[in-house]
Amino acid sequence: MRKHLVGWLCDAALVLYFLFALFPIAWMVILSLKPADQLFSTYFSFSPTLDGYRTVLGDSEGIPFVRFFVNSLVVSVGAVVLSLVVGLPAAYASARWRFKGSENLMFTLLSFRFAPELTVIIPLFVLYQKLGLFDTYVGMVWVLQLVTLPLIVWIMRSYFADLTPELEQAALLDGYTRKQAFFKVALPLVKPGIAAVSLLAFIFAWNNFVFPLILTSNEAQTVTVGALSFLGGDRPKYNLTAAAALVSVVPPLLLALTIQRYLVRGLSFGAVKS
Amino acid sequence: MIRLSGIRKTYGKTVALDELELEVREGEFFCLLGPSGAGKTTTLKTVAGLEQPDSGTVALGGEDMRGVEPYDRGVAMCFESYALYPHRSAYDNLASPLRSPRHRLPAAEARQRIGAIAELLGISGLLDRPVGQLSNGQRQRVALGRVLVRPARAFLLDEPLSHLDAKLRQQMRAELKAIGAVQHTTTLYVTHDSVEALALGDRIAVIREGRIVQTGTREEIWYRPHDTEVARAFGRPRINLLPGVVTERGVRSEGGVELPVRAPVAPGTDVLVGLRPRDIALHGGDGHELTGTVYVTEVLGRSVEVTVRLGTGEQRVSLVAPRADAARLRPDDPVRLVVRPENLLLFEADRPERPGRRIETQP
Amino acid sequence: MRLALRPYLLIVPALLLTCGILYPFGLGLYYTLFDFSASKPQPDMVRFENYTTVFTQEAFWNSAWVTVLYAVGAALAETVLGVAVALLLHRSTLVGRVLEKILILPLMIAPVIAAIIWKLMLQPSVGVVNYLLRPFGLGGVQWTDTPTGALLSSIAVDVWVYTPFVAILALAGLRSLPASPFEAAAVDGAGWWYTFRRLTLPMLWPYVLVAVIFRFMDSLKVFDIIYALTEGGPGDSTVVLQIRAYLEAIRFQRYSFGISYTIVLWAVVYLAAMVLVKHLGKIQRKAAEVTT
Repeated sequence: MRKHLVGWLCDAALVLYFLFALFPIAWMVILSLKPADQLFSTYFSFSPTLDGYRTVLGDSEGIPFVRFFVNSLVVSVGAVVLSLVVGLPAAYASARWRFKGSENLMFTLLSFRFAPELTVIIPLFVLYQKLGLFDTYVGMVWVLQLVTLPLIVWIMRSYFADLTPELEQAALLDGYTRKQAFFKVALPLVKPGIAAVSLLAFIFAWNNFVFPLILTSNEAQTVTVGALSFLGGDRPKYNLTAAAALVSVVPPLLLALTIQRYLVRGLSFGAVKS
Repeated sequence: MIRLSGIRKTYGKTVALDELELEVREGEFFCLLGPSGAGKTTTLKTVAGLEQPDSGTVALGGEDMRGVEPYDRGVAMCFESYALYPHRSAYDNLASPLRSPRHRLPAAEARQRIGAIAELLGISGLLDRPVGQLSNGQRQRVALGRVLVRPARAFLLDEPLSHLDAKLRQQMRAELKAIGAVQHTTTLYVTHDSVEALALGDRIAVIREGRIVQTGTREEIWYRPHDTEVARAFGRPRINLLPGVVTERGVRSEGGVELPVRAPVAPGTDVLVGLRPRDIALHGGDGHELTGTVYVTEVLGRSVEVTVRLGTGEQRVSLVAPRADAARLRPDDPVRLVVRPENLLLFEADRPERPGRRIETQP
Repeated sequence: MRLALRPYLLIVPALLLTCGILYPFGLGLYYTLFDFSASKPQPDMVRFENYTTVFTQEAFWNSAWVTVLYAVGAALAETVLGVAVALLLHRSTLVGRVLEKILILPLMIAPVIAAIIWKLMLQPSVGVVNYLLRPFGLGGVQWTDTPTGALLSSIAVDVWVYTPFVAILALAGLRSLPASPFEAAAVDGAGWWYTFRRLTLPMLWPYVLVAVIFRFMDSLKVFDIIYALTEGGPGDSTVVLQIRAYLEAIRFQRYSFGISYTIVLWAVVYLAAMVLVKHLGKIQRKAAEVTT
């Protein structure tokens, strides 16, 4: 009997936490569906409308939100692709061979993860304006490496390290070249890892705020900064802000749900494996 | 055919191979025997070009292999860890060499070849299964098949039978040498099992702490072991090693035991006398006679291992006798043992921390 | 020769990219020795004057204090709550299994968006939180409009976003604990509390500590949440170091001075990391002892 009660209380505590965790999201959905004239007059009873979304996605209010969305997509994908191209060979090399400089490179990369972003951004802000990279895709993709590269290199290194090198050695003796051994043996085996870490890196790049805030103004601005601009002005448009916020969290949320299994390793930079 | 000279390989501070010398002749089945950590796998990988020696040369067929990539050395290797591609079927694993640029065969021919090998190894029924679903023994056979499926200048086999169950291992041991490919291909076979080495090896090398201690035929290794450790490595029960002192007439051991071994050693030197349990007869026969009392007996199937306390001392020796002869022995029964002087081995005993070297005896 | 070169060739691209990121960092460090600002594009060398100014400014010490309060408060709350959630989920009840699937949602929302969401909810007069609290007689809380309230609200948003992070790592830890010590304890008739304190906690601690390190170091450099929620206000009550650096460098365009702030913060984060990682090593060894 007592055991029953304890179990019930535990479940209740869990439900309570999840109410705290999910209510804000639910409330955004509600807010975003409210018509402008019922924003402050009621809380839960109103006549739902998609006007908020129409306004946000229709680029009214002078905020080109669709373009921000596309920008986010372009710079995040670009950053992940660049990190993969550059990071996979490095991850593989440092997992397979112990050589001078590899550990230094790894820890330099890791320190990026924990460095205050502004240390780099403020000089970049000055530099980008000189180089004409301010408010451009290239500038954003470049600076986002600070987010995506350490993640991809560290996690892929842990995946490669988990693969016994004998698989590739066997391939060499089967008559394949080192390149073929990498592409035909090692790479397919870490493919799930690559997929997961790419999505996670995409999410982090997408969610980044401080880089686009300082290094873009309009042309290359992303949704995180865009969503915030709905809060500006004299009369905050809560429904529009909520709609913009929701639209901008949809891609990361959907992706996150597909890579649940791999998240532990990704979030802990390979320090914890599930 | 395979020649390693002066090979040294270190991993940080640990020395894996220490001035290793090894020569395997064309067409030979050569066993490399040693305990784990002795450097057997490193030796194989050095031959294959998967490990780069710090110094020394590897030659295959007289050619220096320095700078030659593994895929250009033309050797096939069976890994102890199998090294099978876990995401592919047994068939695809066997087909892997035959699809590579260097050993490519037309698909139909490859299929035929794989079928034959699978038949030979008794894995025909498993070809469609993903490797992940196979037992260790089945995987080991697939791994072996991947080596045999394609022509090679040499086979490098790393404990290819170790994960099979006892019965299958015995059967495979017999079949392995009968396989045509194995018969006419130089094979370097690594094992920690001396029975396997004796059964398979045309010649055997004993490796210890990264060095080759002795190379020879099974007779040479058996009758003229380099030192006590090599002698102990072969034969179960293990060889008896009796400490003694050299006298004018032979060797005297504890408890008034006299052994008729002659060697060019100054009287008074400490030595060890080696007696193989199967070389000690329980009843009669020609030879030197020893007396003692039974200490304990242990039945090993059709024969019995008898441990005897020699003379009046506490020194014990083991011997193996037919069950019929030893069945009635009880502890403390007096027994007479016969050894033939030519079967006795003599070893140095001056440095107890190191295995004693064999001393050549005189007839 | 070729063999020895191969790994170097593979890391060359990453090395170049890393240098490309290190360059602005070095440039920033260099800038801090000048008095570079928008109003002074031809700066003069001032050596360490920027740093002495930083350390003698009351604003800096205020920011440092706020940053530490924020980081300790957030990391602590997230650890306690996260581990609790993980323990509850580890019971694997039907409710738990369903809820586990959506555990990560807040974590995947951009922190700035999370702050926006909470800003709307915490609005004193029309926000839904005060509306829901009204029945309890708490309808008029000035959430982000009082100094203490603003700091606590920011921490609350951090907790909302990052508790799942701790929970996920702790849950992975719980699931990887060996079963035998627990079985032995059960056979010995050990109680729940004893098992938890003597077995679960010491073995779980390395996992939790990884989470704590990440959270503590990340919250030392918090920016997004505070920028969107309070912009450092009211007054200076939530001006953490990165916000201060932002205000100095971007808003007031005193680049050199702003960067000096981030360099100091960087040093703090670096020191914290060293201490924590060292501690992690110790804890991991201790946990290994419990297991064996």
